[in-house]
Amino acid sequence: MAGPETKAVAELATASSASLPTSRQFILVLSRLWAWAFLGLMIVFFVIAVPVWNDGSVNFLTLRNSQNILVAITPVLLLGLGQTFVIIGAGIDLSVGWVMSLASVLSALAIRSAFNAGLPLFPSVIVGFAAAVLGAGLVGLINGAIIAKLKVPAFIVTLGTSFIVRGVALLMSENTTVIGLPADIRDYGSESLFYFIRGEGGGLYFLAPPELTGEMLRRMDRILAYPVIVTAIVVAIAIFILRKTQFGRHTYAIGGNLEAALRTGIPVDRHIIKLYVLSSVTAGIAGFLSTLRFTAGSAVIGDPLLLSSIAAVIIGGVSLFGGAGTVMGTVIGALIIAVLTTGLVMLNVQSFWQFIVVGAVVILAVLIDQSRGLLVGRRARSRHAT
Amino acid sequence: MLKKLFLVAVAALALAAVPLTASAAGKIKIGFLPGVVDPFYQVMQLGVEAAAKDLGLEVVTQVPATWGVEVQTPILDAMIARGDLNYLITAPTDKDQMIGPLKAALDSGVKVITVDTFLGDGNYVTGPVTFPISYIGSDNVEGGRISARGLAKAIGGKGTVYINSTNPNVSSVEGREQGFAEVMAKEFPDIKVLGPDYNLDDMNKAAQQTAAVLEQNPDLAGVFGTNVFSAQGAGTAVVNAGLGGHVQVVAYDATKAAIELMGKGVVSLVLAQKPYDMGYMAVQFAVADAAGVTSLPRRVETGFAIIDKDNVKDPEIARFIYQVPGQ
Repeated sequence: MAGPETKAVAELATASSASLPTSRQFILVLSRLWAWAFLGLMIVFFVIAVPVWNDGSVNFLTLRNSQNILVAITPVLLLGLGQTFVIIGAGIDLSVGWVMSLASVLSALAIRSAFNAGLPLFPSVIVGFAAAVLGAGLVGLINGAIIAKLKVPAFIVTLGTSFIVRGVALLMSENTTVIGLPADIRDYGSESLFYFIRGEGGGLYFLAPPELTGEMLRRMDRILAYPVIVTAIVVAIAIFILRKTQFGRHTYAIGGNLEAALRTGIPVDRHIIKLYVLSSVTAGIAGFLSTLRFTAGSAVIGDPLLLSSIAAVIIGGVSLFGGAGTVMGTVIGALIIAVLTTGLVMLNVQSFWQFIVVGAVVILAVLIDQSRGLLVGRRARSRHAT
Repeated sequence: MLKKLFLVAVAALALAAVPLTASAAGKIKIGFLPGVVDPFYQVMQLGVEAAAKDLGLEVVTQVPATWGVEVQTPILDAMIARGDLNYLITAPTDKDQMIGPLKAALDSGVKVITVDTFLGDGNYVTGPVTFPISYIGSDNVEGGRISARGLAKAIGGKGTVYINSTNPNVSSVEGREQGFAEVMAKEFPDIKVLGPDYNLDDMNKAAQQTAAVLEQNPDLAGVFGTNVFSAQGAGTAVVNAGLGGHVQVVAYDATKAAIELMGKGVVSLVLAQKPYDMGYMAVQFAVADAAGVTSLPRRVETGFAIIDKDNVKDPEIARFIYQVPGQ
């Protein structure tokens, strides 16, 4: 009985549906692409709805605004990336928000002490990165070990550690904001790879913008800010790991059917520990980037982002039952949330509407996921019967 | 028929042209981005909107659902991305962390006026941050001093008192804590100060923290709640402990709830800020700046109304209670 069901679950991820009737095949494809379609429609809507101002230059889909949106999604997306792996593996990590805060505090403290000890700026920033990743990774290790070895449900464990991490972050930061960092670290957090200056005397600049006065500064767009590049690299690595490596295949297998995974000799416990370390580490990178961007560490910075990040993962089509989902799905989910916020603010609609739309889309995503499961599940059963 | 249409069209064109030629006010558009949704900022929004109406200009308002730089910044960026704003009236949610994002707004051509909270040390002339046009808000250190003297008087100059606050590194509440502690240390050597505890803008948490302190310190004589959330949470805890009247509460911010608690004898003194004035004047400052006025004060203190049970019915004082539509 377990055999074909496992197969069906695996098919949700790898998707070969050639033998389905055309109509069902169409629905299946649609169910997989709906988030892309939704994002596309939303962008089209905002492009039309957001008014063009007097000089005709500003609209929703400008270079500057697209870059704004990319910067805005980085923290939510990073929190969601590790979570994608964890949820595909049929777990959940509720600690990522506060792990991000802890990492922000740790990196700020590390950068400050390294810099004050006489280290140059860039090495100090690297020390901050290491502190964020190691500190966060340690939390993940503890999460994973308790979940895998002591068999405590992930929901409970990560809820517990999130409180502990919260306390530690607040204690370490002393007054929640760690200040006194070298002001130049802001460049790493907000400067970019390219600069484009529109109009007269403008052009494309690489790495450093020219010395500008007020009026030209306004015409300058930052293209590919450093946090966006870092996030893109992490996304690329995550896609590679999930699609091309044994680690990725094992993640699907464990989430799809734990018993089968155990029987085929997958080192399940070790893998689960790795999943939670991964989740914490991406949250740690988010915390590190926020420290650079805001030139200070904050023990409360990640808290409001936790639920948005889980929403992004679910909208992206990752099944909460495990065994199915993609990294790109989470990217789309995060984009949907960020495009909504930005678009609604630009339309001067109260941004609270964002919550209502996001909530509806989350439920829609789960409904679509379930109906897809039914569709493929039925096929598997009927084949089993013949 | 055609002639009539023509006349209508001319009239419409003339009407449309009026706001453009009227004044500097007609040419600017202002963004208003407060810290979080609460009665204080709602009253401030009323002030902003009243000024906008009086001066004939448009204001775009966005209110963050929760307090924090990761919530305020994306909304800020999106407001700037509209491309049509000339001025931004905002309450930075952190005096250090919001420097970068607001400087970026200025670089995009949007001038910044801070209300209620400031950037850096709030000295925009010689301090570390000088780019905002002005800070319009309460002298929060002085407000803390007034609160301390009020509480000391209410408890007879001796005993233990407790500070409940919202978030650290926010200029407004930090100033209040500082002024409060300073006066207690200097003028009232017989009063011991506990806290501050931070409730992170969560009223329930404020109530819980206060309840715990009450439990721990049976002799607690007074509580200072540094804003809306702190004062209401602290007041609730005192009521729930059955200590109304025995433990005196001084509340920063004149919400309806704080005034009700005063009626029950729980709150002995309410410090009303003037958010309406802050909002109204910030819009006026933007208009003045757009019209070329160069001598605007870089810091404006809007003062307080001190409300106690004796003057709460006086209409001259009662008008400073935060009146929010729908309440």
